[in-house]
Amino acid sequence: MKALKRMAAIVMIVAICASCAACSGNSGSGNSGNQGGQTAKEKYGSTTMKLFIPGEYMSDDLVPDFEKEFGVKVIIEYFDSNEMMYTKLAAGDSYDVLVPSDYMIERLLKENQLQKLDKSLIPNMANLAEEVKGLDYDKSNEYSVPYFWGTVGIVYNQNKVSEDDLKAKGWDIMKDTRYKGRIYMYDSERDSFMIAFKQLGYSCNTDNEDEINAAYEWLVDLNKTMDPIYVTDEVLDYMIGGSKDLAIVYSGDAVTILDENEDMSYFTPDSGTNIWCDAMVIPANAENPKLAHEFINYVLRDEVCTDNTLAVGYASPNANVLAEMTGEDGDYAENVAYLPRTYEKDEIFHDNEKLRKKLSELWIKVKAAN
Amino acid sequence: MKQFRKMTYPYVVWIAIMIVLPMLLIMFYAFTKQGNSVMQFSFTVENFVRFVSDTVFLEVLGRSLRVALITTVICIIIGYPAAYYIAKCSEGLKMKWVLIITFPTWINMLVRTYAWIGILQDDGVINSLLGVFGIGPISMLHTEFAVVLGMVYNFIPFMILQIYTSLTKMDNSLIEAAQDLGANGFKCFTKVTLPLSLPGVISGITLVFLPAVSSFCIPKLLGGGQYVLVGNVIESQFLTSGDWNFGSAISLIMAIIIMISLYVTKKIDTTDVSERSAT
Repeated sequence: MKALKRMAAIVMIVAICASCAACSGNSGSGNSGNQGGQTAKEKYGSTTMKLFIPGEYMSDDLVPDFEKEFGVKVIIEYFDSNEMMYTKLAAGDSYDVLVPSDYMIERLLKENQLQKLDKSLIPNMANLAEEVKGLDYDKSNEYSVPYFWGTVGIVYNQNKVSEDDLKAKGWDIMKDTRYKGRIYMYDSERDSFMIAFKQLGYSCNTDNEDEINAAYEWLVDLNKTMDPIYVTDEVLDYMIGGSKDLAIVYSGDAVTILDENEDMSYFTPDSGTNIWCDAMVIPANAENPKLAHEFINYVLRDEVCTDNTLAVGYASPNANVLAEMTGEDGDYAENVAYLPRTYEKDEIFHDNEKLRKKLSELWIKVKAAN
Repeated sequence: MKQFRKMTYPYVVWIAIMIVLPMLLIMFYAFTKQGNSVMQFSFTVENFVRFVSDTVFLEVLGRSLRVALITTVICIIIGYPAAYYIAKCSEGLKMKWVLIITFPTWINMLVRTYAWIGILQDDGVINSLLGVFGIGPISMLHTEFAVVLGMVYNFIPFMILQIYTSLTKMDNSLIEAAQDLGANGFKCFTKVTLPLSLPGVISGITLVFLPAVSSFCIPKLLGGGQYVLVGNVIESQFLTSGDWNFGSAISLIMAIIIMISLYVTKKIDTTDVSERSAT
């Protein structure tokens, strides 16, 4: 009896393994049997390309639609952070399109890891919004095409915090003891120090020791007086649930929070904030740059941009789409977080390895100070 | 015995690669610092001085030891009676209890900790229940309470199983002998059962205290980013600051603290045995 049971178990395991293998085998052959495969091969030299992009940062239909229209196959890999992407790239992995952030593009450019774009292959670049054209890291967009962009700001409960107060105090509202124990900070040294730098009137790219120390004191003081909770992506759920009054949030996440909870609104102080941009680039070791150009051009199409921005909630780089979304009857007409207000003093992060290390060394001490 | 010695070779190789070599690397990193372009590294005790001379880090260390201690004590208080009861059950019931206790460990620890977030948060299960009676919401998530709860929940099976094993291995005739000699139930427990189960308690303590003092994902998830324990400092040194030397030095300090606490618990155990044989 026992032997029979064991046999049955083994047979089951083999069957499960076999069916798994069959499944993955099937999906592979299904795609390569695409009709357009022949012409795509002639046109691009290869029918597959590799895309490396942050997780949950793309509409589910974008890649399948692209594959169908052009008769190609896109292999997608996801990364958690720019640093992780950089490590994989440095290890010699080859990709055709990457979507890193501004400061990381600056570093990749410094190290000659990107190739110049052939703008004649990307006619849709004409659609780019003024706000994201020629940002500091790539002044004439010779290497990068914006994918999503936004700011860092404060999501606040309109029933508990008045907008006038926010305007008067700026980032200092996070140190207003009326809201003690009622705030979420973002657990990232770059964004937290940016807030302190901006409130104190410095640049968020400063590497002046005194300014860094002043910002450090500002954050330690906040930690001691306000009992803040430091969170990352969980902030979305918590603020949608309305568990606290104030939170530091990326504009794109704020869009989602505002959509789900009507009490919440979004504010960026005029003392300035970080304006950031994630962009598509083609690494120097790309195996299929022609198809990569085609993909970038495709992503910039009006209808693709519309789908993408509706799915993810971050601000589109496409001027037509931005106008449509925020115009009358637009999907985000009422959502103040969608199109970030920008101020004179807003800044983009620059790549500065030394500053990054210094800040992260101080950051653990800020959080541990009680 | 000798002819079996060869059988340990695979494990010796395993230890050398997986334990001894990494330990040597940690020692090397801990006592060096990144040098200039001429010298790749130089030897120093700077990393240790930096940890010991900074009150912030010492506070973190104190907090870690306190939380681990509280966790261990709660595990003993809840775990000992439970183990005692299970050991007294019938054979079939014993197996069922052990199964129930080990059952949660079949699920990944991270997943179970995430579940606690859902239970404890302001609009979570507990507060929704309290809300029905018009109480609360009480903030429980992101407090020390949540961290201790998470740790007790995760580590208590180890404590119960250790005590349970030592209780079942105990020779029942010893208790009968004590009863024959006129000891009442309480005396029987304090003079016979408790001392004989102490080795189980001690190994339970090591299995709970050590992971608790170096844990970093439970405080991060249930305590929030501001609840920093030594494990979190080490993690940040390796993953965000990229200061492997300082991170290694803290790891080494932790290793030394753990060794000392192991030595002390062993000492308590052996003195107890000698006292027993003396009386």
